[in-house]
Amino acid sequence: MLFNSYPFILLFLPIVLAGYFWLGRRSNLTPVIWLALASLAFYAIGNWQFLPLLLISIAFNFGIGHLLIVAELKPLQRKAALAFGVIGDLVVLGIFKYAGFVTENINALAGTHHAVHILLPVGISFYTFTQIAFLVDAHRGQVAAYALPHYALFVTYFPHLIAGPILHHKDMIPQFEREKAKHPDPHLILCGTIIFAIGLFKKTCIADGIQPLVALAFEARSPSFDQAWLGALAYTFQLYFDFSGYSDMAIGISLMFGIFLPVNFNSPYKATSIVEFWRRWHMTLSQFLRDYLYIPLGGNRRGRVLRYVNLLVTMLLGGLWHGAAWTFVVWGALHGVYLCVNHAFNALVPAMPPMFSRPARVLGCVLTFLAVVIAWVFFRADSVAWALRVLHAMADPSIIVFGREEIAALVLVLIYAALVWLAPNTQAIMGYDHAGRRVGENLRAGRMRPLFLYGASLVLAFGILGIQSHSEFIYFRF
Amino acid sequence: MQGIPTSLRRLLLASLACVLGAASLTYVVDPLQLFRASRLVAAFYSDDTRVQNAGLIRSQTFDTAFMGTSLAIHFRQSDIDRALGVHSLKLAMTGSNSRQQSFVLEQAIARGAKRVIWAMDDFIFIDAAGIEADPYLSVDLYRRTAKGIASYLFSAAMAKESLFALLRSVPPLQEPLTRAAPYLPLKFALPDVDDIYALPRDFDVASGYNARRTLAAFTYITAPTRSRFLGEDYGYDVMVRHFERDAVGLIARYPDVTFDIYFPPYSILQFVAMRDASPATLKTVTDLTARIAERLSQLPNVRLHDFRAIKAVTHDLDNYSDVIHHSPVVDAKVLAWLASGEYRVDPSKPTAALDELKMQVEAYRVER
Repeated sequence: MLFNSYPFILLFLPIVLAGYFWLGRRSNLTPVIWLALASLAFYAIGNWQFLPLLLISIAFNFGIGHLLIVAELKPLQRKAALAFGVIGDLVVLGIFKYAGFVTENINALAGTHHAVHILLPVGISFYTFTQIAFLVDAHRGQVAAYALPHYALFVTYFPHLIAGPILHHKDMIPQFEREKAKHPDPHLILCGTIIFAIGLFKKTCIADGIQPLVALAFEARSPSFDQAWLGALAYTFQLYFDFSGYSDMAIGISLMFGIFLPVNFNSPYKATSIVEFWRRWHMTLSQFLRDYLYIPLGGNRRGRVLRYVNLLVTMLLGGLWHGAAWTFVVWGALHGVYLCVNHAFNALVPAMPPMFSRPARVLGCVLTFLAVVIAWVFFRADSVAWALRVLHAMADPSIIVFGREEIAALVLVLIYAALVWLAPNTQAIMGYDHAGRRVGENLRAGRMRPLFLYGASLVLAFGILGIQSHSEFIYFRF
Repeated sequence: MQGIPTSLRRLLLASLACVLGAASLTYVVDPLQLFRASRLVAAFYSDDTRVQNAGLIRSQTFDTAFMGTSLAIHFRQSDIDRALGVHSLKLAMTGSNSRQQSFVLEQAIARGAKRVIWAMDDFIFIDAAGIEADPYLSVDLYRRTAKGIASYLFSAAMAKESLFALLRSVPPLQEPLTRAAPYLPLKFALPDVDDIYALPRDFDVASGYNARRTLAAFTYITAPTRSRFLGEDYGYDVMVRHFERDAVGLIARYPDVTFDIYFPPYSILQFVAMRDASPATLKTVTDLTARIAERLSQLPNVRLHDFRAIKAVTHDLDNYSDVIHHSPVVDAKVLAWLASGEYRVDPSKPTAALDELKMQVEAYRVER
């Protein structure tokens, strides 16, 4: 089921909200079970064939977690239990996500013609990573014992299940346990509705309209210089509005239930370095990779060279997490190299004198954005060869079309750029403070004009009017 | 500001009012001309023909429908009218399949088309989604069901078009906005129905259509890494089934309608590419078109024309932008041939032109 669909907005969400708060008047546990069941129903609509896999995954990880938290195991046994759990998760992820890719490469190397056709279960990357973090923390002794309904809800919680943000048990389960969350809070429902509206608008009125522009570069056999740039920039903005729209919607929906989800985007294209970009883009994935991959690999504690190796390995695996294809490997490798260059630059170049700091920041922003655009070309292209063709066109200004279509595309790209760089982001507009569990304090205190409310209603209306029947999120494929 | 519950109620009610306001605006302006021909604001048209055709069929007067794929996309209605002495409506849709074409033609026939001119490509008969589930063509919009009308009225894109159309009708803004429209992100930007998917009148034909481009396309599609695409989705039995259902079925349902069907003049390289890189596909295509020719020749309301073996056109690679898409010069010739009936297939020898084509393909040597 899609957030940007009439059945979800007009039927599913109101029913689940009503049921949640109705049950909340009677007990603290039944709303959790209701929400977990609703989440499973949300998943099953359209993905019913993968529901058993999701349930098995929950049971398996909850069982291993139980061993690590409750059972009194010896250190070696605990290590074995963790290894069993993590390897189990990775094997399942590997089979569903990478078997086809591995077979393809073996075929290419050995000249064989084996064929593996396995459908990718929707959301498997997200719920697997979420649970690996749970197991690792359980092994570290950082997890209290959780009841199965709360754990199941933590994994399946429908606002995040399919495309994130990646949740952390320490953040979520205590919220599910709070009794206060089960009573309707009109303020949180209002703020959640506005955040949802902003996300819906980003998705339906901006991101969905960009696809034809992206085709200029990625579906043309030999794009011209301007077509290649317009297509690459269009994809850069499409991904931004699509994914950040989804994350906003997830936060907004969750807020209606009184639950604060982590922020996933913080105006990433305003970053002045790649390091900063990764602190602003898909923030929950960056945190996961840092806490559960980069730091366990040794992080920056084992010397400069190993730090760079760790960065590269982390980003390569981050690339592969996004998709089983060489294009994603190249994308990850590029970002690994960018990060190494960034850290080396910081280490070698002395601090900028204050009078140059502003121009340096602008230059840093431009360079970072260009580096990101180039990497997105690999992320979007069907093959490395196709990506190189687009990049070649982007570097060859001798062929320029700049006809009617390209001018119209340029107008749109400029509008998107203005929104990205000049408009405040959703959390700034709404004063969303995930850590402090606060949102919309200005709205609550009556410091916002009624005009804001009418602006929000316009955004919601156009978000709903923009709904198209076939409009999946880009991150559903990962 | 009011209390929070009041604010929430106000937000939802204001949103509802906006939604209804946008729908009313679209209904009144009706950019697609689905309900009525434009009177309140000047009519504008879109190149998105799968959507635009639903409105054209409703708002235009015509006696002849013209159908095809991207090969027939650059014809101008006025040229068709002049050459054939008809009042035509061009409904060609780039990349369309036989299900879509047959469905749209049926709508046009129901609205008064007495003659159909159909550029019939072999590849339209490959397997495709059922018309009711086709994500690219809204049957509900054509049929004007409640769902179709709702999807039209409750649409942000249409509200945007309506608002722009309204602004464009304000006299001081009329001229600058009309001139700017083709360069703005608008769908309904063409002031003349004749310009829908037609090459601009000042288009440089020589640079768009020449042997260099045609040969480059030939090299591209015959490269070993891509040659498998030549026969992609080509299956003789499936294609024959689709032909029977979509073409013969439609023609048989409307015995009073005259169908002028033609095989477009691809460059010879289209068949040579198959000969060299995918012979099985060439056999499928020739077998299929033989079957089509034989079958259509038997139908009393069909006039079949085969332009694929006209050497003067198909062997002159300057006529093409790739191996199949021909220039407006050839468009004009096609209309003249249709008018004169010069290449009409003789029902007693339905495969004569095809046999000629086969010999040409066999004999042709590519000069690079």
